[in-house]
Amino acid sequence: MTRLTPFLAACATRGLQAVLVAVIVGIVSFAMMQALPGDAAYRIAAGRYGYDMMDAAAAEAVRIELGLDRPWALQLLDWLGALAQFDLGRSLVYGTSVIDEIATQLGYSLLLALGAVVASLLIAIPVGIAAGLNPGGWVDRVSLGLSIFLRAIPAFALGVVLVLVFAVQLRLLPVAGFRGVAHLILPSLTLGLGLAAVSNRVVRDAVAEAMAAEWRLFARTKGLSARVTVLRHVLRNASLPVVTYVGVQMAYLIEGVVIVETVFAWPGIGHALVHAIFARDIAMVQGTALTLGLIYVALNLLIDLACRGIDPRGSSA
Amino acid sequence: MTVIEVEDLSVFAGATRLLGPVSFRIARGGVLVVMGETGAGKSLIAQAILGTLPGALSFRGRIAINGQRVDTLPAADRARLWGRDLASLPQEPWRALDPLMAAARQVSETHRHVGGLPVAEAAAATARDFARLGLDPGERRLPGALSGGMAQRVAFAAATAGGAPILLADEPTKGLDHDRQARVIGLLAEVARAGGTLMAITHDAQVAEALGGTLVVLRNGRVVEQGATAQVLQAPQDPYTKALLAADPSAWPVLPAAEPGDLMLRAQGLAVSRGGPRLFAGIDLAIHAGARLAITGPSGVGKSTLLDALLGLIPPDEGRVERAGLLGRHAIQKLYQDPPAAFPPFGRLETSFRDVARRHAAAWETVLGYLEDLTLSPTLLQRRPDAVSGGELQRLSLARALIVGPRVLLADEPTSRLDPITQKTTLDLLHKVSLETGIAVVLVTHSAAIAERWADEVLHLTPGHEKAEKAIG
Amino acid sequence: MTNAGQGAGPLFGLGAARLTGLSLLALLGICAVIGPDLVGQDPAKQALLNARQPSSAAHLLGTDHLGRDMAARLLSGAQLSLSLAALSVLTAGIPGTLAGIAAAWFGGWTDRLIGSLADAILALPGLLLVLMLAAISPGSWWALYAGISLTLWVEYFRYTRQRARIVLSSPAVEASRLLGLSPGHIIRRHILPEIGPGLLTVAAFGAATAVTAVAALGFVSVGVRPPTAEWGVMMTELLPYWREAPFLILQPVICLVITVLALHLSVGGLHRR
Repeated sequence: MTRLTPFLAACATRGLQAVLVAVIVGIVSFAMMQALPGDAAYRIAAGRYGYDMMDAAAAEAVRIELGLDRPWALQLLDWLGALAQFDLGRSLVYGTSVIDEIATQLGYSLLLALGAVVASLLIAIPVGIAAGLNPGGWVDRVSLGLSIFLRAIPAFALGVVLVLVFAVQLRLLPVAGFRGVAHLILPSLTLGLGLAAVSNRVVRDAVAEAMAAEWRLFARTKGLSARVTVLRHVLRNASLPVVTYVGVQMAYLIEGVVIVETVFAWPGIGHALVHAIFARDIAMVQGTALTLGLIYVALNLLIDLACRGIDPRGSSA
Repeated sequence: MTVIEVEDLSVFAGATRLLGPVSFRIARGGVLVVMGETGAGKSLIAQAILGTLPGALSFRGRIAINGQRVDTLPAADRARLWGRDLASLPQEPWRALDPLMAAARQVSETHRHVGGLPVAEAAAATARDFARLGLDPGERRLPGALSGGMAQRVAFAAATAGGAPILLADEPTKGLDHDRQARVIGLLAEVARAGGTLMAITHDAQVAEALGGTLVVLRNGRVVEQGATAQVLQAPQDPYTKALLAADPSAWPVLPAAEPGDLMLRAQGLAVSRGGPRLFAGIDLAIHAGARLAITGPSGVGKSTLLDALLGLIPPDEGRVERAGLLGRHAIQKLYQDPPAAFPPFGRLETSFRDVARRHAAAWETVLGYLEDLTLSPTLLQRRPDAVSGGELQRLSLARALIVGPRVLLADEPTSRLDPITQKTTLDLLHKVSLETGIAVVLVTHSAAIAERWADEVLHLTPGHEKAEKAIG
Repeated sequence: MTNAGQGAGPLFGLGAARLTGLSLLALLGICAVIGPDLVGQDPAKQALLNARQPSSAAHLLGTDHLGRDMAARLLSGAQLSLSLAALSVLTAGIPGTLAGIAAAWFGGWTDRLIGSLADAILALPGLLLVLMLAAISPGSWWALYAGISLTLWVEYFRYTRQRARIVLSSPAVEASRLLGLSPGHIIRRHILPEIGPGLLTVAAFGAATAVTAVAALGFVSVGVRPPTAEWGVMMTELLPYWREAPFLILQPVICLVITVLALHLSVGGLHRR
């Protein structure tokens, strides 16, 4: 029971955040709808049936179907009400169910996010530990310089540079779309490098701080070997700020997914979102933004729970 | 047989000599106490013997343990002595224990990885250690949940679990109240009695006296006196040793009680809980002009909270605080435990003094007069707070408070971070100010000796006590 | 926070990294202000027969796929990015800082109200929110700017609130209050000196975020629209010509990286966000 309460508290906080995400996405999507230039019904009907097949009757049908003729406050309530029932509606452009569209895209986006996190950890943890065990050494200085430089390259620019180098100049890796694991490498590396640029320094600082801690020296002077001290004490203490920081990076990850999917024509939610904004397909904008926001909340919840797992102080008090 | 032999040890930071030369020998079953003020270089001796001097420091001299010269050994070989031949008890046990690992596991891992016991036997040995030290053998808590005294005993168990016969203890009683201090001293004395060897570092003459053996007195890294502890403490030869011993509160003269003046501040049936359980209740206090009241009690009992309630910073649960009608809004001033924390950390001290003088329309000459009364040089005002010593800064905050023309001064452990000699001069000055100006002083202190000798009235707070005991000192 | 200047040794009182960053920033600012006059070319003027030319006397950095002068377009992009960054720093920084001080000073409902507003904005990743707000009025500079400012003020607020709370609960402030000094004194002598250096860092990284966001949105065709010369838009336009003219696509990339790097270095390197 004592372990359950903080668990529930974390779930409740993140649950509130999820509701907030839904309301904000709903309101902004609705505003987008209101801001559509011209007669929205005509545009939508044209998009759906093509200009040749479209007439006033088709537009009227769309108007009634979407309830575009009522006062905006009522429409907003309706809009949020539908959202509360997980009714994301149909794509204004294709007429297909938004949920079906997202269901096929979700897996790709999660795969990319996972690939990015794995890539970033594979880079950041060894580099950060090597730098942190010997602060001021050459690994530390070189990784600091590289980190500052990489941090200054926005994800999409890094993607473009990697495409130019690996796919175009060296012809090593495929660039666009997804037809196999090889297609995962460049997008994951793009995002992973961006994440690792900062997180390797966080690992480094955490390890350096643990190595300088009085308890680290005491573990040594009570007779433990350097290896046992690092394995039993340093890594666990150092992992806490690192895991917390991975939580902070989830915002960067979601933002990165949106941009990097577009760069690499990755068939995921982010790509769909950008495409939908461009095509003014507001139902799809709402659905994809909502899904990305909820993934963000879910990832944060996972991090919260991981922190509690590592740090027993919160739950034993 | 000589267990530790130190010959002409000196420690340098670049070309600056921080310590030495120091020479001494400790035989098996012997005790050596190093005594001196903060910054005297006491800890450097222990670090040099252990081989944990910071990389920026260098040393000269010769150190041998059990007849084997160790200062020339590579770091890895010196580390092999740790836990097996040499144990080291840390200054701050809370910071020396891994905050994320249960206290018992930190002892049992020493039994296992240093003593070579299998897991089950290591756990059993830990339970025996805990029982012997008066801790719960089934203790499962993390270090953060332990009291300072318990953490110190856990650290002792962890440090000695490897079976090392030599123990180096650096300020083992720091931050402990009187009862817990006695307990730790008992533990340390037991080491030598059981045939081990002890080197202890302390700033406290009473700790030295209880441990006995040989005493080395350090000042600014130099040995000023060395000899049998009892003899040095009884008949110190060096003027510095004399001053240091005279500054120990137990050696202070009892100050004459002040003539009580008008009533300034009265508390009736005061009860306060600061967001948690009730700290104290039923406190009755009457503070008269020129009076010196001391508040004592163990840490966490709510001494500082009582001051805040007197100041009106926190509302009481029950009872009330009454100020005398003539008391202006700023007539109650406060001195803080950590002198630098009482000043804005940026900019020169003069800015702070000028601001206060302008606000209260005090002439700058008056301000300079206060500085002179408190034996402070006006040039100190050109510095930033972090560039002034703690003792001077505490006197500066007293001078700044005087600008306002206070009638009551609340002093929250104002000397607990100062050296014994500075502590004595600061409290003597506070007494002088009170005598000359009739300012009432309420002094919070954890030292019963100071309270008894300095104040004319003592309020002793005890945990959870409905009614605090009051004694006339 | 990691200090990039560590080990680099002070140079004129600043770290070498900071000096490099500040010099680069000054250079970028000067280029953006007087550069267009020096180049003397219209960034929008097309010359289809003169497309994708390498560097020449007439066109210092060559011409793009429509024959427009690259140097003029890059400088025009710099004006757009830097002015938007500067403006968003001001309009997000001042209210954000004041809100942070107010929340720390008054606590209670003030704190809770502003705090929930900040939480609402932080509920979504920043760029996602900017993306959606910009999409309400696509291609509008003002929508982009409003979206960026709206997400950026939270950083100032959170930083200021946290530091100010620590300062306000410190013995130094309690002492100043007991000594009768005014709230103005406490803000001037205690809070501002404490938060000043950190605010500079938040501002520099916020400006870098703004520059990146403008380019990212331009790149995915959601922000500023062609034919406006904006670095992200230019990258999208020039990407198809990487094989024939890789030097063209690299130019806006390099401009963007230098700007972000200069902003990061100007406050000493890395920041955890």
